[in-house]
Amino acid sequence: MKSVKGSSWKLTEAQLREWLRGLLEENHVVAPVEEDGVVLFRRIASADDAIVEASGKTRWSPKEFLFPRTEALYRYTFAGGAVQIEDPPVPEKHQVLFAVRSCDASGLVRLDEIFLSGTKDLLYAARRENTSVVTAACAAADPECFCTAVGYSPVGEEGSDVQLVPLDGVWLLRALTDKGQALVGDGGEGWKKATAADGKTLPAIEKKVAGQIDRGPVNQEWSQVLEDGFEHGAWDRLAQHCLGCSVCAYVCPSCSCFDMNHQGNAWCGEQCRSWDACTFPLFTHHASGHNPRATKQQRYRQRVLHKFAFREEGDQPFRCVGCGRCVAQCPAGLDIVNTVAAAVEAMREEGVDAAG
Amino acid sequence: MPLADAVPNPYHPSLMRIQDYTDETADVRTLKLQFVDDAEAGEFTGWEPGQFGQFTVFGAGESVFALANAPWRPNGDRDLAPTIECTFRMVGKVTSALRAMSKGQVIGFRGPYGNHFPVDDWKGRHLVFIGGGIGMAALRSAMLDVINRKSEFGDIVILNGARSVADMVYSDEMPSWEQVDGVEVVRTVDPGGETEDWDGQVGLLPNVFEGLGLDPENRIVIACGPPIMLHYLFLSLGKVGYSPEQVVTTLENKMKCGIGHCGRCYVGPFSVCRDGPVVTWAELNQLPEDY
Repeated sequence: MKSVKGSSWKLTEAQLREWLRGLLEENHVVAPVEEDGVVLFRRIASADDAIVEASGKTRWSPKEFLFPRTEALYRYTFAGGAVQIEDPPVPEKHQVLFAVRSCDASGLVRLDEIFLSGTKDLLYAARRENTSVVTAACAAADPECFCTAVGYSPVGEEGSDVQLVPLDGVWLLRALTDKGQALVGDGGEGWKKATAADGKTLPAIEKKVAGQIDRGPVNQEWSQVLEDGFEHGAWDRLAQHCLGCSVCAYVCPSCSCFDMNHQGNAWCGEQCRSWDACTFPLFTHHASGHNPRATKQQRYRQRVLHKFAFREEGDQPFRCVGCGRCVAQCPAGLDIVNTVAAAVEAMREEGVDAAG
Repeated sequence: MPLADAVPNPYHPSLMRIQDYTDETADVRTLKLQFVDDAEAGEFTGWEPGQFGQFTVFGAGESVFALANAPWRPNGDRDLAPTIECTFRMVGKVTSALRAMSKGQVIGFRGPYGNHFPVDDWKGRHLVFIGGGIGMAALRSAMLDVINRKSEFGDIVILNGARSVADMVYSDEMPSWEQVDGVEVVRTVDPGGETEDWDGQVGLLPNVFEGLGLDPENRIVIACGPPIMLHYLFLSLGKVGYSPEQVVTTLENKMKCGIGHCGRCYVGPFSVCRDGPVVTWAELNQLPEDY
């Protein structure tokens, strides 16, 4: 979504909470909350529950509020020998995803590219249309963060309807789209208009955060090297420690693979979809027994290349948005940026066809 | 109009009744299906050879099969209700459940999906269809289409290969294909798969194909079979002088959604269900060997 010039304000913490209280009257609001010591996106009942801070991220991305972990695609019943099929209801109440990090908002746009291109997915399209995204820019990087290394930004506007930027003790609020402007309206009581100088702080924030990110950058030209080096032996070595658990795909804000299965009995049932991952061996297993990706090396390579190499247009952004969750949560300590860098280095030094 | 109202649920299947079936082998069956709902039959826009569908056994799940009868084209010369045929082998949960169904029972269908064979580009050319086992099912729609429109094409050779005589599909209908002038059917079974009264050839498909000695000039090869067969067939085709642009195949990766979303049929950046399944050998050479 292209950024448009909307209104721009400066809010105190109290004013931000008051605005959130207002949003809760008309909308379902999903925001970071603490649950059993873990910060997660949840639908909130009170504006005070939301955790809105200048840095830090949730354990899981907010993608499940557009693309649920499991959902019914239709229901069927057998009635007197006849089959009846019923589409699931589409959501009617507007949903606001609140205090989403820029990386996660970009992740949602990467999902749009899958679910809204070609044949559109009804359930995803209905939720997406009925959702507004309020991002909270980051004033500091977490240890696992690497957005600026893969072409994204801690203050990025992609996928953001309203952007909140932490300034000294206040929040800069920028309505970036018509949807965002609708959430902001004419502003709240006592809101101060932001000045041009406030807007100019964004590049400084980006620079500061980029300085805290010590990995990368992953260059655009590497895509071709990775694609040409598909058969390179380096993948055997790089994937050696992968356990195949697929936590990387589950926590990823842009991973969109899913499985479809019937759940039912002799009377009724559902066609269900649930999250799946290209890092599982059964993902590509043919009924005949043939499996094009029978080894974990082939599967790990697929996941990495789908983020950084296989793109339909050369100038598309990487499908990895740099949130770093896969790095923080990998039980084997694998780091996708280091993997890509090591693969490209090996391919350049040894030739793309080398056995490694 | 809100987007959600404008978007139909792509996963909602049409109900189809099993009108009839043919048992091709001990574990391969061809179903003949018709829409339960007349309105859906009326709205059905048909398909082109090479496209596929998702077939549902309610309670068991979905399976992908090629649409295997001659293409139904709404503006064609037929005024009959659309009939869809699919040939499947019983190998897993869904296909076992499907095999257990009887005439008159209802299954689900959604599709057609994918691209198709460029049949109209083949006008005036000689054609060779090479099918290994159940791979014949993916070629049958194109084969029947060109046989029905034989005058538009050159000579047609159909090479039907199976592991054994008992595994050969479409045995009952091959004689009717041969009755058309300029259509030759060659049957072959793998060495060891022949019976005493077998009058076809014995040998692996690539070798039998080479033995036919067909001139590559002005000829298109359309092949489908297991990955190992295609590997050796391409070696043979290269050896006897076919260019990669003359050879068309259809990729059969594991699929679930059929619309390029679920992610499992990717070969590099190529989504088999959305960008394929039909590819030329030349296009296949551009993709990583990940199928």
